[in-house]
Amino acid sequence: MKHARFGLFFLLLVSAGIIALLLVPEQITRGHLGLLMLGLIVVAILLGFPTAFTLMGLGMVFGFIAFHRSWQPFFQNPIFDQMVLRTFGVMTNDVVISVPLFVFMGYLIERANVIDRLFHSLQIAMHRVPGSLAVATIATCTLFATATGIVGATVTLMGLLALPAMLRAGYDTKLSAGVITAGGCLGILIPPSVMLILYGATAGVSVVQLYAGALIPGVMLALLYVIYVIVRAKMNPKLAPPLPRDAVDLPLSKVVWMLATSFVPLTLLIVAVLGSIVAGIATPTEAAAIGAIGAMLLALVYRGLTFERFKESVFLTARTTAMVCWLLVGSALFSAVFALLGGQALLEGWIKTLDLTPTQFLLLSQAIIFLLGWPLEWTEIIVIFVPIFLPLLDHFGIDPLFFGILVALNLQAAFLSPPVAMAAFYLKGVAPPHVTLGQIFKGMMPFMAIQVLAMVLLYMFPQIGLWLPRALYQ
Amino acid sequence: MNRLLFSIDRISAFTGKAAAWAIVLLTLVVAYDVVARYVFNRPTQWGFDVTYMLYAVLFMLAGAYTLSRNGHVRGDVLYRFLSPRTQAALDLALYLLFFVPGILALAWYGIGFAQDSFAILERSQTSASDIPIYPLKAIIPVAGALLLLQGLAEIVRCLICLRSGEWPGRLHDVEEVDLDELKAMTQSESQR
Repeated sequence: MKHARFGLFFLLLVSAGIIALLLVPEQITRGHLGLLMLGLIVVAILLGFPTAFTLMGLGMVFGFIAFHRSWQPFFQNPIFDQMVLRTFGVMTNDVVISVPLFVFMGYLIERANVIDRLFHSLQIAMHRVPGSLAVATIATCTLFATATGIVGATVTLMGLLALPAMLRAGYDTKLSAGVITAGGCLGILIPPSVMLILYGATAGVSVVQLYAGALIPGVMLALLYVIYVIVRAKMNPKLAPPLPRDAVDLPLSKVVWMLATSFVPLTLLIVAVLGSIVAGIATPTEAAAIGAIGAMLLALVYRGLTFERFKESVFLTARTTAMVCWLLVGSALFSAVFALLGGQALLEGWIKTLDLTPTQFLLLSQAIIFLLGWPLEWTEIIVIFVPIFLPLLDHFGIDPLFFGILVALNLQAAFLSPPVAMAAFYLKGVAPPHVTLGQIFKGMMPFMAIQVLAMVLLYMFPQIGLWLPRALYQ
Repeated sequence: MNRLLFSIDRISAFTGKAAAWAIVLLTLVVAYDVVARYVFNRPTQWGFDVTYMLYAVLFMLAGAYTLSRNGHVRGDVLYRFLSPRTQAALDLALYLLFFVPGILALAWYGIGFAQDSFAILERSQTSASDIPIYPLKAIIPVAGALLLLQGLAEIVRCLICLRSGEWPGRLHDVEEVDLDELKAMTQSESQR
């Protein structure tokens, strides 16, 4: 019964706090209430309750206080109607429509039986490159994660396919684990990614421009990984010994055919979807729908698409969409109340008095986002914390597009930061027992460093991210 | 008790899975719209309205289904290291404090919101298609009621867990990372 008492005590504590806040007259301003709300949300999320409802609940409680007037009957508090209105706002948000479509496309590709062919053919095509298996793993992860956007599935599948292959070939365990986890996370960054859609929806930045902007940094990151692996393999061939020749030396025509039936169709699909968006031919929603149909065809051709798997993709799409969109509902209410309380204005005023230079502000905000990425999921960071920085960008003269690309890269690094990095746990789940979690974490470290390097590069040469959108849309 | 919980789970799953098929319709409608616009140069009037309505139906009605499968994202850095009893105590408190007020408001005040729309037979303003919008607004109280029902089931689960010290079972369902499925997929290749 100790636990029940603990829960009850906790509930009483929070209720008492709220009642106290209602009774205390004008000693604290409403802005302070807003800041309290912001502080509480971090604590509340860490209590492990579904974040969508945590946001909703805090929004309700603080909104009730904010709207409360002594002459007003309890049930006529406008917060109740606000809850409905904010929900309806998410229901009619035309940017987010593309999310379920991209998710659907991803699940269809995940189930299309394509990854093993892809890995096999890339591995053979690249066998002359030092560390060929690791390079092929990165390439497979990048392509597959880009097409599906599902970190868990990519890492698990590659953990089943590539990890045993690399370990058999005598590759270093840490290096093998590192390439799988780092490569698997790239799908979040490289468009078409759901993260960028959500950033676009919250920041009011065009998703098309974000896609164009994140493309080169994403590919750059993948290339940096590849270069790192090749250099390590060249310097110390023991880490990644070359494969025995007879196993991989196939006639060229056979190799070309293998690539043509695995690498080419998937790449074409991604290029078609992404190209039509970036070139301005189709909206993200349209491209996503066409991509989903393309994925269905692909899965049919590869005989991966049974009705059972199709049904599973449909149901999984519904659950993932509901997860993302209810989070948006919660955050819509939360941020409306936060703004109403004036918490945003107070915070902005405070940051402006700090007299930061734009560089300092950028570093500070990115550091905060990085730290938050340690305990929180990217969805939570994008919908709750990024909006707080957004109104300040104008003051410091920072392009929201550039900020968005930096955030996307930043959250990549957060993905690989132990001890919460989900990728590591997915890999551990399917790795042979002698591969320890510690080895996986150690293997991820160099790739985290590369991500920080990529951020520094992007910061020093913003053109990496801004050149393509500028060239296309100005 | 467990049978009652499973029944509620089934109600949520049934509506959620039924609504899930909206994604297939959504894909087809958008694709049709694309073909109509770029190939026949005759964009549909109703395309835009229908797409956002399908999207709204999809996520609103799948909310309870997702809750029944514990599918809403949690900040579980600390949570997963707690004992089931502590987890249940925390969850119970937060269901009452956070979940119930918001969802109750959604279900109850959503009725009035939909009624107002029904009263004037409100039509969409975003296009010339004149599509009625009141059915969409009626989704709000329905989704709220479903979530509330599922929330009550979750509250009962917390109570059971507080008493017994372990979480009561859930119905099996397809998972994003389904190990057996993925293993089968990778093995079929190596045998070829």
